[in-house]
Amino acid sequence: MKDERMPILEVENLKMTFKSGKRGRKVTVNAIDDNSFKVYEGETFGLVGESGCGKTTTGRTIIRLYNPTAGKMTLMGRDISGPMNRDLRHFLTDNVSMIFQDPIDSLNPRMTVEEIVAEGLKYHGMKDASQRRERVLDMLNKVGLTREHASRYPHEFSGGQRQRIGIARALVVKPKLIIADEPVSALDVSVQAQVINLLNDLKEELGLTIIFIAHDLSVVKYFSTRVAVMYYGKIVEMAPSDELYRHPLHPYTRALLSAVPQPDPIFEKQRQRMHYDPKVDHIDSNEVRTMREILPEHFVYANIPEFERYKTML
Amino acid sequence: MNEVTKKTLSDIPADLLNIPAREFGFVRSEDPIMDANFETVSRGFFKDAMFRLRQNKAAIAAFWIICAIAFMAIFGPNMNEYHFSEQFSDYLNMPPRIPVLENFGIFDGSRLVTNRRLDSLENPEKFPEGCIIGYSNPHEIMGVTLVDVEVNYYKYIGAEEEYFWLGTDHMGRDVWTRLWRGTRVSLIIAVLSTMSDVIIGIIYGAIAGYYGGKVDMLMMRFTEILNSIPSVVLATLFIMMFGTGMWSLVLALCLRGWVGTARMIRTQFLRFRGREYVMAAQTMGVPDRTLIFRHILPNAVGPLITRTMVAIPSAIFTESFMAYLGLGLAPPEPSIGTMLAAGQTVLMQYPHLTLFPALTISVLMIAFNLFGNGLRTALDPTQRGQE
Repeated sequence: MKDERMPILEVENLKMTFKSGKRGRKVTVNAIDDNSFKVYEGETFGLVGESGCGKTTTGRTIIRLYNPTAGKMTLMGRDISGPMNRDLRHFLTDNVSMIFQDPIDSLNPRMTVEEIVAEGLKYHGMKDASQRRERVLDMLNKVGLTREHASRYPHEFSGGQRQRIGIARALVVKPKLIIADEPVSALDVSVQAQVINLLNDLKEELGLTIIFIAHDLSVVKYFSTRVAVMYYGKIVEMAPSDELYRHPLHPYTRALLSAVPQPDPIFEKQRQRMHYDPKVDHIDSNEVRTMREILPEHFVYANIPEFERYKTML
Repeated sequence: MNEVTKKTLSDIPADLLNIPAREFGFVRSEDPIMDANFETVSRGFFKDAMFRLRQNKAAIAAFWIICAIAFMAIFGPNMNEYHFSEQFSDYLNMPPRIPVLENFGIFDGSRLVTNRRLDSLENPEKFPEGCIIGYSNPHEIMGVTLVDVEVNYYKYIGAEEEYFWLGTDHMGRDVWTRLWRGTRVSLIIAVLSTMSDVIIGIIYGAIAGYYGGKVDMLMMRFTEILNSIPSVVLATLFIMMFGTGMWSLVLALCLRGWVGTARMIRTQFLRFRGREYVMAAQTMGVPDRTLIFRHILPNAVGPLITRTMVAIPSAIFTESFMAYLGLGLAPPEPSIGTMLAAGQTVLMQYPHLTLFPALTISVLMIAFNLFGNGLRTALDPTQRGQE
């Protein structure tokens, strides 16, 4: 099954470290710690984890806002982890775009909606202004905004509308891969649904592949085909969405899932929250932990004794 | 707590509590999203800024004052028949006299001449016909009664047909002409030096702030070195090298003036560099130059505008200060600074020589400050819609 699908993006042993501190007292932060995963064409790959676990850094590294410390990323057969140059930036902008988290901060307050959305096209070699305008208006229409909105400034819009402008900006260049960095976490729930449904529709209509970064597990479950759970820069479990929710194996995944609120007061009263403590929940062993496939497509980060234990839990 | 929950649960009819999950569905998930048009009128950024600037009465008043002073600086010197370097050796330190206003007791060319013999008041050779306005303070010294006489000075020295609107200075040059000519020179110096400050400062600060890291470190160390040289010494050396004159003053002023602007722009760039809209533009392949000037700079100019508006009067001040030290323009070319420097030595005797230049520079300073503040508020997009 795996081999039938084309991986659009392959990430191998990606590492991203940040250095801080001055002279002698250097602190190194492993924001992404040796991760490998594949994203298949047409799927929605969810990336979940707590704040600061490296989800956003992963997204930004793929689109090369950051230069990866080590590892290899291959997008549609082309290595995109090498040194940045004009050619590579063009390749990336043609194929990948990003939806940002903060609907207020991600739109330049000094530019009109049309300018914001058209900017990508301008640097994609679409020089003809009227043609560009047509494309922009068409795209705005797709995300539910009108012609009249094009000449407005971002501050006139509500959060959900702004996020849809952000989506229009990302999609107008017709990318293959979208990195959605917590696109709904700043919105209220009813608007979240609207934006998620819009993304879903557009995904089908335009044949997109989405890397969906979020910390809201219910949103991820609803939206994603496969989900990877990150903890402190490390992907600890990766499985198809339903499978992950049915058989969470890694203690961190289980702790996360135990925290998902249910719209059921009786359940909520009896909720047993699990806490993840890396010191307690793991079995020490000389073996190195690696990603091990426990079921088809279901990977868990474990050493052999842990792997055996997880097997019994299935 | 427990009981409350139980109670509320039991209050709900049983059939509502036991709806099977499969009967729930998504509402409106199939509806297309279509937003209504805004009812307000679309207003461009600068149009909006202008609108909000107009709301600010003080800024508008300040703007017109600046305009008026600029107008006078251009046309003032040609308004009467005198030339700024023309010396009337007979008419030194004349008091102000303006045609119509003189009938109302101000600008009437009057001056108090002290310690004159009371009996000489009748002598038409000493006091020409009709020049005496009044006398006071009679006192006797060695048997002679002396008085302080208030005279129409123009009649007193026999220059009744002359009108020096703001009087003359110690060399008999018309103060009005010199004042506006001086304002013109001062304004040109201030505007030129501020402009070059801003241009150099923006480019330097933008590069340092945008690229950061080692580039930033080196560039900022350079400004610190430059800043550690005392500015007066630097300006003195500069003027000694290239001689006094407008251009060497401008250069001396902006030799170090841009450092502050560059630092401020750098801070602003560090602040806006990591914003998501900048990153978004970056992912779309927007080149660095456009990022700097289209995305970051317009959002960072707020403090710059205020700074510039304050920098203009302070450049005039610095120029005056240099003039005080004798580093000003070469005579006979006036500037507000040289006029003040000359006037303050005879402040008690001829206050009009200091008063008018001091008034001009004060008004200019206040006006620029008010206007700068108004402009900053108007251009700040976060203030939109608050009025």
